[in-house]
Amino acid sequence: MKGLSRALAGIIIFLICWYILSLFINRVIVPSPAETLGLLGQHLVNPRMLEAALQTAWKVGLALVLVLLLGLILGLLLGLSETFYDMFRPIVMFIQAVPVVSWLSLVIFAWGVGWRGPIFITFVSLLPTAVLTTVSGIRSLDKDLLEMARVYRVPFKKVFHYIYLGSLLPFIAAIIDVTIGQAWKVVLVSEYLAGGSGLGVEIFNARMVVDSAGAWSVTLMACLLGIATERLVKYCLRGMSSRWGQA
Amino acid sequence: MGASIELVGVHKDFGQLKVLENWDLVINPAERIAVLGLSGSGKTTFLRLLAGIEAPTQGRLTVVSQKTGFVFQEPRLIPWRTIRQNLLFVNEQANIDELLKTLHLEGFADYLPAQLSGGMKQRVNLARALAVSPDLLLMDEAFASLDLKVKVDIMNDVMQLWQQRRFTMVTVTHDLKEALYLSDRIILISNRPARIIHQFVVNLKEPRQFSSPELLALEGELLRIVCRD
Repeated sequence: MKGLSRALAGIIIFLICWYILSLFINRVIVPSPAETLGLLGQHLVNPRMLEAALQTAWKVGLALVLVLLLGLILGLLLGLSETFYDMFRPIVMFIQAVPVVSWLSLVIFAWGVGWRGPIFITFVSLLPTAVLTTVSGIRSLDKDLLEMARVYRVPFKKVFHYIYLGSLLPFIAAIIDVTIGQAWKVVLVSEYLAGGSGLGVEIFNARMVVDSAGAWSVTLMACLLGIATERLVKYCLRGMSSRWGQA
Repeated sequence: MGASIELVGVHKDFGQLKVLENWDLVINPAERIAVLGLSGSGKTTFLRLLAGIEAPTQGRLTVVSQKTGFVFQEPRLIPWRTIRQNLLFVNEQANIDELLKTLHLEGFADYLPAQLSGGMKQRVNLARALAVSPDLLLMDEAFASLDLKVKVDIMNDVMQLWQQRRFTMVTVTHDLKEALYLSDRIILISNRPARIIHQFVVNLKEPRQFSSPELLALEGELLRIVCRD
């Protein structure tokens, strides 16, 4: 209760600061909170905007699933094998260093404007984080537990289930924590620059008609969706984590 | 039937570091052996050789054993798994409830390791070793970190279980009384590189008492040998 009231107080302070800024700065740059929030209210009941939100959401979802799946598999391979690590680490580092705009040109050449670009760009942008976090998880495994399993000649499948996955769970949570917010941002940028539909396209459209309140209201909508997704995934993860202990 | 062990001219080095030097030793089935030496002398390396975690650098080591149980110095329990799951990890067929009852842990099967005291965790460590129905039980300073009362209680449990199951038991310790209480024969080793310097036969009538006058007398005798060697 105390936490909730503090959070509400923080939001009110933010709105007051925003309001004060909007009084002194051109409305094209800082629209008033009333105008922006009013537009957000309209978006939430506007079928076109809801469709755009859904378009963005499924891209974020698919990109995250791909990042988690491949990130975990590659991270496990690199974490378990020094040879794989030495071979593929430079590639992972390279992918991590490539700017989003470079991927953007690639996807526009390959697929033009459409849904594939945002998913691919989000995937390649976040994959290195997932891979390297998984490798850290594998490397931080308690060696004493592995030695215990070796003494008792426990089959690798069981060791993997009981020890590896259990140790990795906090790292998987960290990957989701880091990537989920990033995924929304990257999908929005990719949609803005090369997307056929989605909230990123709506921000682009608002910009084209110099509707800054429109752009910020769509941004707020994306933020709300991002926070809601993060909360939902963390809730599911907590459930998974408690079941893991009893499996 | 307990396991049998034979070491002939066994050496163990880690690079330039010589840890064990020229060990010749025979351990008979159902025999209880204690290896007594200072900390860092190579006692744990000896147990690791017997458990198959390490291989001798030189010499021949023969361990005839179907199942080995290892009581580690620290419990090494999987923190996110319950006590029952920790025991099932090493043997799916183990009768967990009976094991826990034997080691006075009934009612704790669904607890997580963090919810147990140090002594209870060490009992689980022992229960895990027994869950595989071992014919060879290796104990690495298993009671070193426990309070005297808890230590004596767990050692009593070990001795009762040995009476029932007659496994071969190898304990490494630096505690003279513990070595006397838990073994038929004590192997005294030198500082690194560890060599066997003396073998001491423990003649105590069963069941043993941890503070019996006979055991205390043997402790004095053993202490004289340790100081002399």
